[in-house]
Amino acid sequence: MTILYIVLGTVFGFTLSRSGAADYDYVQGMFLFERFQLYGILATGVIFAAPALWLIKRRGRTLAGTPIHIELKALNRGTVVGSLLFGVGWSLTGMCPGPILVNIGEGKVYALAALAGALTGAALFGRAYERLQKPLGLPPLSKPQKVAA
Amino acid sequence: MPLLLHGLTPIHWALAGAVIAAVTATMLLVANRRLGISTGLEDICSLVLDQPYLRRSAVTSGRPWRLPFLAGLVLGGFLSALLGGGWSPTWVLGRLDATVGLGHTGKMAWMFAGGLFIGVGTRMANGCTSGHGIFGNSNLETPSMVASACFMTAGIVTTQVLYRVVLG
Repeated sequence: MTILYIVLGTVFGFTLSRSGAADYDYVQGMFLFERFQLYGILATGVIFAAPALWLIKRRGRTLAGTPIHIELKALNRGTVVGSLLFGVGWSLTGMCPGPILVNIGEGKVYALAALAGALTGAALFGRAYERLQKPLGLPPLSKPQKVAA
Repeated sequence: MPLLLHGLTPIHWALAGAVIAAVTATMLLVANRRLGISTGLEDICSLVLDQPYLRRSAVTSGRPWRLPFLAGLVLGGFLSALLGGGWSPTWVLGRLDATVGLGHTGKMAWMFAGGLFIGVGTRMANGCTSGHGIFGNSNLETPSMVASACFMTAGIVTTQVLYRVVLG
């Protein structure tokens, strides 16, 4: 399965690279309402994925026969505040998390700094989780597990 | 408008959307996984840091697929550059070069600062453009619709203020 995940990631990354989704100017062009390209990608992504997910859920099982299980996300103040912060970062860097990695692959050196910042941010948020839990209404952490190497 | 990458012409948006949807559907149909990239940030952090947040089961249970998928993203970008005119390190930053004209150190500082917003924000919101924007919206999940409205709005306001007010 590892090979499958690498291949899917590669196809996804190549597509982001060649469609403008990992391009600083196309991201700014979207937010400036000058370019339709990335709105088109997001919209068609959802329009095609929605019926596909519906059909898969109706089928109820994976190809191998395992019951489909979709982990749902919580809605809380963190959803709003976090997404607003993320939007600022997306605008400043011209990258959302996938394109950070795609741009590193393309050879855009500064994307390494964006990754360093994103990892630092994730770790800082992790450290502050218990303090932020109440003000943001975040769910309690699921039981920590030993990491399988 | 050509891409910053070798001045290539981008593929049609509908084709890109279709591929993204196909990968999303395949992940669920074959691997029983909801596609989401930003939780992978925690997965990378958890390789070196021992925090309860980073070791929670939602992260560790995704270990078999997240890191290979992230490696694939890097590989996809690499192949795109290689096949599109050759791979070489670049600092090209389009509109930001044309307006602010930051040096290498300035670009690294700018990107690190922006990355902090991405890291804190996507973890606080528990998702990004993929997990909320594509999967969540396609699955008609309310939290994802709220998240998408917020990150699109914040992106629009930030870029508009930067390029139409500060640099305008």
